[in-house]
Amino acid sequence: MKRFDIVRLESPNRAPLKIEGFLFGDEHSTGPTVAIVGAMSGDHIDQLYVASGLVEYLRAKELEGLISGKILVIPAVNAYALNMGEKNWPLDKTDLNMMFPGYAQGETTQRIASKLFETLKGYDYGIILEGRRDQGTCLPYVKLIQSGYEDLECVKDLGIGFIHYRPHEPVETAMLQYNWQLWETKAFSIVFGKNGSINQEASNEVHTAIIRFLSKRQIVNFHVFEGRKSNILDPNRITILKALRAGIFISKIRSGAHVKKGEVLGVIMDALSGEKLEKMVSPCEGIVTCQYSHPLIFQNSIAFRIASVELCCQIDTQKKISS
Amino acid sequence: MKQGIVEDFCTIELPVGESFRIQRCRYDGQKSPKRISIVSGIHGDELEGQYVCFLLGEWLRHNPTKILGIVDIYPAINSLGLDSITRLVPFYDVDLNRTFPGSKNDFLPAQIASGVVDVMRGSDIAIDIHSSNVFLREIPQVRIAKSQEETLVPLANLLNIDFVWVHDAVTVLESTFAHAMNTAGTKTLVVEMGVGMRLGKAYGHQLLDGLLNLMAHEGILDIDPLDVRFPIQSHVGEVAYLNATRPGLFVPVIEHCQIIEKGSVVGHIVSALSGEILDEVIAPIGGILFTIRAYPIVYEGSLLGRIFGEKS
Repeated sequence: MKRFDIVRLESPNRAPLKIEGFLFGDEHSTGPTVAIVGAMSGDHIDQLYVASGLVEYLRAKELEGLISGKILVIPAVNAYALNMGEKNWPLDKTDLNMMFPGYAQGETTQRIASKLFETLKGYDYGIILEGRRDQGTCLPYVKLIQSGYEDLECVKDLGIGFIHYRPHEPVETAMLQYNWQLWETKAFSIVFGKNGSINQEASNEVHTAIIRFLSKRQIVNFHVFEGRKSNILDPNRITILKALRAGIFISKIRSGAHVKKGEVLGVIMDALSGEKLEKMVSPCEGIVTCQYSHPLIFQNSIAFRIASVELCCQIDTQKKISS
Repeated sequence: MKQGIVEDFCTIELPVGESFRIQRCRYDGQKSPKRISIVSGIHGDELEGQYVCFLLGEWLRHNPTKILGIVDIYPAINSLGLDSITRLVPFYDVDLNRTFPGSKNDFLPAQIASGVVDVMRGSDIAIDIHSSNVFLREIPQVRIAKSQEETLVPLANLLNIDFVWVHDAVTVLESTFAHAMNTAGTKTLVVEMGVGMRLGKAYGHQLLDGLLNLMAHEGILDIDPLDVRFPIQSHVGEVAYLNATRPGLFVPVIEHCQIIEKGSVVGHIVSALSGEILDEVIAPIGGILFTIRAYPIVYEGSLLGRIFGEKS
């Protein structure tokens, strides 16, 4: 293992910012290569945990001679934010994952992104560990955006239950995944957990999925158990249940629960009077892929996302009829 | 004197005994269907636009007979942020101006963005007033994406601003309010002036004259056009960026909005710890210093200033 600084940035008053990389395998190997990027935000603790866990795991495997490709792990991009409970770059509050591909002559965060991106270019595969941008907790899923360079087949090797495969949004053109794909790396994101915390179950699943991917892509030289058969979802196949009222939110289920139509998923109480304002009832049968996880909820917030087999079937049937 | 009609929209219950709301004050002359929206406070730390909204509202209240069309004033889009010195949307830490056009089926900032677009849809013109941020001080200027140059520059020239900056489109700008509104058919100008968390009275009055002049030209107000300044056009020159080469404390030696010569000293980056001057910031071209750093702590790369000068 080689541990090295990818970025070192002096600060006016703090100790320098370091973005450290951990490189495994023979640098001159002709085998497949992968780079794994951990916490880009200061609240992506799950992502930091999984990435640092991979460093420890791969270090042991390398000693056993089981690395056949080249693997770069970058556990923390925004250590400054992690160290002070901030989400974004602490000075100007910019989101580092909105700065790609970066600009070497630009503002500070553009320069950081540029240096990082120079290191990331040229890898065969790129794995980004992402948190959510809302207050949700979600089952681990793969986010694969359609840039024209994406590779749907390779992400199935993760064995993760759901792949969100969709066109990119305008804001995503400044993010790492989109730009990495444009530079011909088969890049994708694994979104999981709850920001600011560690979800052991989800972290374990993602850790195992990445090892499975490395094995199937012959980047490590050992076998692992098969994962799940991935379901490819588009946004139309997710049923959204919004909070009609604001207040204290009590969820009755966990993400990943298989729920029936009519089942009570949660309640909202008036935060002052304690009156029960809303009983949240599932409009369909399906699997809860994501749920709001802050105890206080705003009106119209998305409380639950339910992947509905019924809806998938309807869409498939409609497509068959229309074609 | 006639009051405008104040309406709430995009109201969303907050968890504990309060509602989020965006307010609009409408002045309708009912003589023309033409409609303009004046927008401020998408970023909660930018206050210059609030002062312009006040000045415009005051003028309209005193001149109701001069109003032909509809003037909508939205002083506080990110109302939670404005009342708490927070640039981003509180609770989510998300830049609202990177969330447009938004969606009703996404997280709350996206729902707010979607609500804003819906309520302003149909406006002929929108003016989105920003104050740069707390880091930079700007002269009154309008920034326009190259693809919209032909449509928007003639409008910007009416605004009594100092500079019209036509720039190459950056993909991230596709998620801004201005891009969303221009795409929806509303001619939308982005004004940048002053500095975050402060207001400058002179700039406020300057832009008020510009707004009145624009509305006179567009038939929204029944007044004679004002004698306004014609802004410097970016295509006749070039913009030079001054970025910090070292971290430290930036101490400017010249004032904002000065004409400077190539090679002159703009400021110094100094070390508070050692007492050393770490770097001398030199103007790479001659011209007008139209941006200068207002917040002194800098990292490598921090923007210290921008100079607009003749093409070399």
